[in-house]
Amino acid sequence: MNKYVINFPQEIVENPILSETILETGVLLNILRAKVDYNEGTIVVSIMGDEETQKKVVDLLRKKGVVVNKLKKSIVNEEEKCVSCGACIAVCPAGAISFTKDKDIVVEKEKCHRCGVCVEACPRRSLSIQQFE
Amino acid sequence: MKTIEEINEKIRRGEAVVVRADEMPDIYEENPKKAAVDVDIVTTGTFGMMCSSGAFLNFGHSDPPIKMNRVWLNDVEAYAGIAAVDAYIGATQLSEEKGFEYGGGHVIEDLVSGKEVYLRAEAYGTDCYPRKKAETSITLKDVNQAMLFNPRNAYQRYNAATNSSDTILRTYMGTLLSNKRNVNFAGTGEINPLSNDPEYRTIGFGTRIFLAGAQGYVTGEGTQHNPKTGFGNISVKGNLKEMSEEYLKGATVPGYGTSLFVGLGVPIPILDEDMARRTAVRNRDIHVRILDYGVQRRDRPLVKEVTYEELFSGKVDLGGKTVRSSPLSSMKISVKIMKELAGWIEDKKFFLTAPLEPLPKDTVVKVMKPRRDVPFVEDVMTKKVITAQSTDALSKVSELIISHGIDQIPVVDREGRLEGIVTAWDLTKALATNKKKLQDIMTKKVITSRKGEYIDAVARRLGKHQINSTPIVDSEGLLIGIVTSSDVNKYLERR
Repeated sequence: MNKYVINFPQEIVENPILSETILETGVLLNILRAKVDYNEGTIVVSIMGDEETQKKVVDLLRKKGVVVNKLKKSIVNEEEKCVSCGACIAVCPAGAISFTKDKDIVVEKEKCHRCGVCVEACPRRSLSIQQFE
Repeated sequence: MKTIEEINEKIRRGEAVVVRADEMPDIYEENPKKAAVDVDIVTTGTFGMMCSSGAFLNFGHSDPPIKMNRVWLNDVEAYAGIAAVDAYIGATQLSEEKGFEYGGGHVIEDLVSGKEVYLRAEAYGTDCYPRKKAETSITLKDVNQAMLFNPRNAYQRYNAATNSSDTILRTYMGTLLSNKRNVNFAGTGEINPLSNDPEYRTIGFGTRIFLAGAQGYVTGEGTQHNPKTGFGNISVKGNLKEMSEEYLKGATVPGYGTSLFVGLGVPIPILDEDMARRTAVRNRDIHVRILDYGVQRRDRPLVKEVTYEELFSGKVDLGGKTVRSSPLSSMKISVKIMKELAGWIEDKKFFLTAPLEPLPKDTVVKVMKPRRDVPFVEDVMTKKVITAQSTDALSKVSELIISHGIDQIPVVDREGRLEGIVTAWDLTKALATNKKKLQDIMTKKVITSRKGEYIDAVARRLGKHQINSTPIVDSEGLLIGIVTSSDVNKYLERR
């Protein structure tokens, strides 16, 4: 399982590309975040299955004209700025941020939905969402 | 029984036994009498956002001289109403250009990190100070004195916060998700300075402390010092030039403003068994009230009373639901402060002082007296509300809007429970998109208010959501009134 950002250009924003892809490949997708309007669409999904299965889905999506990028890191914490206060922890709806034993901040990237609430809540502005791999 | 002088003598001989506040409970539990004899000093620490902080700076005289009556540092205004080239830069003052992203707290961090800060000053000009404008850049080395002087620091404990309302709130207690989905809390619990000396036997005016990496002093009670309720705090002073950037960090609290993370540690002398017992306090002994910041009043309702132990566990039970809790103070840096202070003492660089005057134990906190009573929602709301039902025909709803000269109509079920709201604009849109059912065009997620709220809170809500009215519901969700922006404006104009 890995996370991907899918960008729909304006021309095909109305096509049911995700549904088509799920039906054609039989691979399960989980939509984590979606922003679709008249102009364009950005959807973050996790694609289930091994690397090969994921590649099948990504290739098909690309063939249908959408831009697909794999997300490697989600939230990046600049440790030089961070004071390990914890203001980002309880606000995370996914429970992806916690303290280590030494009370440092740690982000579990596989849990992160990229909603950005922690980025906004950080008093030190040390968190950011990394765009793509 | 030990005296402070005896403890200092032990420090001089390199024999003083120093332990951290988080180590003391176990030591005491094992053998209270022995702990009181063996341990000389317990170090405490805290590192959190302390808004009531700032620094007095003296810039030196220019030629020709200027008597600054307004001065900005990196575009953040400092208070210049003291002598010609003195100013006080406060942590929460915002940059005129960058707003919430940069403020007085950040200026202090930049100064202490040795960065250049841009100074701009204005004056009216006098015979003795003819200059009217000054612009220069300064560093901490350039200024004559730089005194960190914080009027209210290191609260003994603090309320925790949650939010029962249906919108996300940005508060000085951090970001609070809607419907009580998180709890934020401040303070360091069992290692907090005043929690280790709650009777203020050893902390008062003149107590030497660790202040942001330098030796500073307690200058007495802090503002809003509230000892009777366990909300005591201290004012502190120290030389900014000796401090470390590690312990002074600018902060942005989204939707609220800027602040300053301050690192502070107090050594507690173990004079006798009573002090040993006090410093053996544990997180589970310190009670914290979780308040509802969804109610925008001075006295916020209590949601639950918990302990620091529960809060630090990361999970709190709120009405059967497990809610994540996280601190706003850094435990990591607080522990570092306790260790560093202990190191100073062990290296014979830091000696204890007895307070010249103890912190008062009987002051009370007064509130601001209102010039005139601020009305509540129930004083201005319309109680006889024109309503519709979701099964009503659109033509009937349109008629109601026209005949009553109103812009929106709340939609209720048979029992009078609010289901939605429909505006004249929704009806126009229905016409354009050929929709026939009220259910399909009404807004179902309605921004509601309660009758016990102040009008000011409602005014802010209307503005924030850019809406013209807010239905008033009771705790059962029954519609009991409506407040429109014109109701609010009428009140605001009167004021």
